[in-house]
Amino acid sequence: MDDLKQRVKEMLIQRLKLEGMTPDQIDDQAPLFGEGLGLDSIDALELVLGIEQTFGVKIEDETSGLQAFKSVDALTAFIREHQGA
Amino acid sequence: MPDAPERHLPHRFPFLLVDRVLEREPGVRVVAEKLVSASEPYFSGHFPDRPLVPGVLMLEMLAQAGGFLEAEPLAGQGIFLAGVQDARFKAPAFPGDRLRLEVRFEAAFAGLTRINGTVSCESRELCTAKLLVKKIAP
Repeated sequence: MDDLKQRVKEMLIQRLKLEGMTPDQIDDQAPLFGEGLGLDSIDALELVLGIEQTFGVKIEDETSGLQAFKSVDALTAFIREHQGA
Repeated sequence: MPDAPERHLPHRFPFLLVDRVLEREPGVRVVAEKLVSASEPYFSGHFPDRPLVPGVLMLEMLAQAGGFLEAEPLAGQGIFLAGVQDARFKAPAFPGDRLRLEVRFEAAFAGLTRINGTVSCESRELCTAKLLVKKIAP
């Protein structure tokens, strides 16, 4: 598996306390919020902080957040695109 | 010096738990104060022979101090406590204590704000917590 994607999944599990879940149980394409992982707005804030602290990428507004949180694949692509930017 | 807390917070006796704002930088940091009086209504029951400030009230004190991070008065705004994370109660507060309530903005996303708070008394930390505050557009 893509190394960055693996780290994104590990960050999700750690920050959102998805206890008992392993990275390979998280669907790459499933939405993070609502259905899929079933996260809520409190998790979103936690995730914004996790992404900033783990990958040094800031999610400035809701629009970019909505884009990034579409799925693990989308989030990985977002981080890759903004890292070192 | 800022106005009386009543000008900013909608809370009233016996649930206004901030007496004074000492330092205030909206959106960044607030330091406020609560003088714990021997006549606080909850002391008669918490506990009859051993008055202690309930830990949950220290969280409420931090939440109310956090209200001063908002530039505008809270009356009429939809602002609610949405969560409490990593709360630690390290030492009790007693009648007569002068509590220093310090809150700091940490992060905000999609209408949700997280603040870090510390209640201390004479430089001793009594309580630390992260509070989540939800702001609902009017």
